[in-house]
Amino acid sequence: MTERIENIEAYALKKDPEKHQKSEAINKVGIVGCGNLGQEVARMVSNQGVDVIFLEVNQSKIDDALKGITKDLDKMIERWGMTESDKRAILSRINGTLEYNDLKGCEIVIEAVKSKTREDSVEIRKKIFKEIEKIVDVKTIIATNSTTLVITELSSELNNPERCVSLHFISPAADVPVLEVARSLYTSDEAYKRVCKFARLLGKRIIPVIESPGIISTRLIAPMINEACEILMEGVSEMEDIDATMKIGYGFPYGPFEMADKIGIDVVVRWLDNLYKEFGDIKYKASPMLKKRVRANHLGRETGKGFYDYDADGKKIMRERISPC
Amino acid sequence: MKILIINSGSSSIKYQLFDMVETKVLAKGIVEKIGMQGSFLKNMRNDGDELKLTGEIVDHQAGIEYMLGVLISQKHGSLQSLKELSAIGHRVVHGGETFKRSILINEKVIKKLEEVAELAPLHNPPNLKGIFAFKELLPEIPQVGVFDTSFHQTMPEFAYMYAIPYTLYKKYGLRRYGFHGTSHRFVAKRSCAILNVDQKNQKIITCHLGNGASITAIKNGKSVDTSMGLTPVEGMIMGTRSGDLDLGVLTFIMNKEEIGVQAANTLINKHSGMLGVSGVSSDMREVQKAAAEGNERAKLAIRMYSYRIKKYLGAYSAAMGGVDMIVFTGGIGENDTITRKNTCSNMGYLGIKIDEEKNKSAQGREEIISTKDSKVKVLVVPTNEELVIAQDTMEIITKMNK
Repeated sequence: MTERIENIEAYALKKDPEKHQKSEAINKVGIVGCGNLGQEVARMVSNQGVDVIFLEVNQSKIDDALKGITKDLDKMIERWGMTESDKRAILSRINGTLEYNDLKGCEIVIEAVKSKTREDSVEIRKKIFKEIEKIVDVKTIIATNSTTLVITELSSELNNPERCVSLHFISPAADVPVLEVARSLYTSDEAYKRVCKFARLLGKRIIPVIESPGIISTRLIAPMINEACEILMEGVSEMEDIDATMKIGYGFPYGPFEMADKIGIDVVVRWLDNLYKEFGDIKYKASPMLKKRVRANHLGRETGKGFYDYDADGKKIMRERISPC
Repeated sequence: MKILIINSGSSSIKYQLFDMVETKVLAKGIVEKIGMQGSFLKNMRNDGDELKLTGEIVDHQAGIEYMLGVLISQKHGSLQSLKELSAIGHRVVHGGETFKRSILINEKVIKKLEEVAELAPLHNPPNLKGIFAFKELLPEIPQVGVFDTSFHQTMPEFAYMYAIPYTLYKKYGLRRYGFHGTSHRFVAKRSCAILNVDQKNQKIITCHLGNGASITAIKNGKSVDTSMGLTPVEGMIMGTRSGDLDLGVLTFIMNKEEIGVQAANTLINKHSGMLGVSGVSSDMREVQKAAAEGNERAKLAIRMYSYRIKKYLGAYSAAMGGVDMIVFTGGIGENDTITRKNTCSNMGYLGIKIDEEKNKSAQGREEIISTKDSKVKVLVVPTNEELVIAQDTMEIITKMNK
């Protein structure tokens, strides 16, 4: 009694042969740049049973990303949100690479790189988009996680810009059940629908948007952080109390300073710079409180120091304060 | 008469093809990893022919098309043509309060099924996918739905209600529904046949002990109480589920560990039970092995497991005003002599006495394991849920054709 293995195609009822052609199913997702957000996306996509390949610039970054993902999964197990076997399955579907070539076969590729300046970011992303296009199928969706850079600009030099969208995850990507999906002037309906299908696969509520710098989330959150800095600078209150007001008063999970540290203060400054450049409105001019910290490389949780100090596990260290009341 | 039984899950479909004239399985198999990488179909014919098909299976409908393709194929098939199929029987997890028995599926039923899906958001929608696929592929062949919950719909109100605000019952249908209904029904009926007694005057406690576990009190052929509730997490200690738990414990954990609903759900469904207590495994055999090697927590988990069952035996005896028969089924119930022995030990006061030799020899087959003078008969009866679904399906379409 030996088991035979055959190709399933031969057994189709042939009622609708087209149905069995390569489908719209998403089996492999590429991620270019596997920093914090890339790692979160990789983990979340793999959790849906989809293979993930991420591209990094050197082996040590690949190792770091895998380490980061493993650490996050361990944290989830510790917090009862996952089992060891879930973890093994998720990790087995995630692979790192240094070669664009390995993005072949991806149904969707998400760019999630971090860059220093605005000029940098546009040029780097344009180059990445072109590299991706060389490798992947003509229908493969190419997406950016960037919100303040418009996707029309990033995709303008591609042969098939109609497959590009902006797919904006809000960190922590796995826990925030919402996803802004922005279309460019070029984006086709077909591509947009496929991206929405992908978003649904991840269990996200889709927020459809027409591209605009900062779309919704960044355009609202960046000025809030900026304004919180003004309040702090004017000496109205201390940052713990400003954070507490927004958390307790308005039900935010993080206060503006905690949020800035979590996002990365350099990222917040870059968002504001982009918004300022696009809209020319003074309200988007980055506060000196933010710029000062960027210059000192006190970028937030990632560097262990931002508005608050953090321990090795990324946990906030509470300052000792004397309360006036 | 040939009937195809379908158990359609989120990413897999199990199936069995029955010949109801001879009551035998012609072929069975599984479609796995639907819509994912590495999807495959495995078919086993009753003559030992085994086949594995690999390739892309995009959705449930594609999976079912291939399954049908295999069943009518010359090399590995069991049917000449799909016309031979008299009906499709579907296992449906939750029937809510709407479905009190198995039912012929039509448009109205589908609509109701969509309504009750809210009670089992993980299970009912994939069940429906299977139903839709057949509706599309073989619209002329009748389909029957057989529910895990319907056998328990005979429970009296005072047994199925939770003592929470009544308005919440009205609003969401929050109450005890119970599961494994087809299994409890099958083994109770089978046990009466083995003992040659009329189920109409018997008090039976059926213990379905598998990876999930539930116990049912069956009085005069009707389920009067069962240990699983709105969801399958209530009642027995299971492989990874906690079973009965003080609700205060859960709110305490959620508060202290600062976890949300989702993690709390994973905690009681995947981190608890035998695995959570023993720290060894969710598999009873491995926990027993560890206990034999002296692992104290494994020993504790095993004691807790049997103790929980024992408590329910007492409770259900009281609920029914006595017990005539106890039936063990499911992977653990059918094979695990230790659990059966622990559960039935020191139960002489209730009239339960086990024949140790018979208990040892009963492994995955029908056996009466109580002593001759035991007032309460204790049986091991392997379950066969697929057969129940096939029989219900046959009964319904036979009536329909009359």
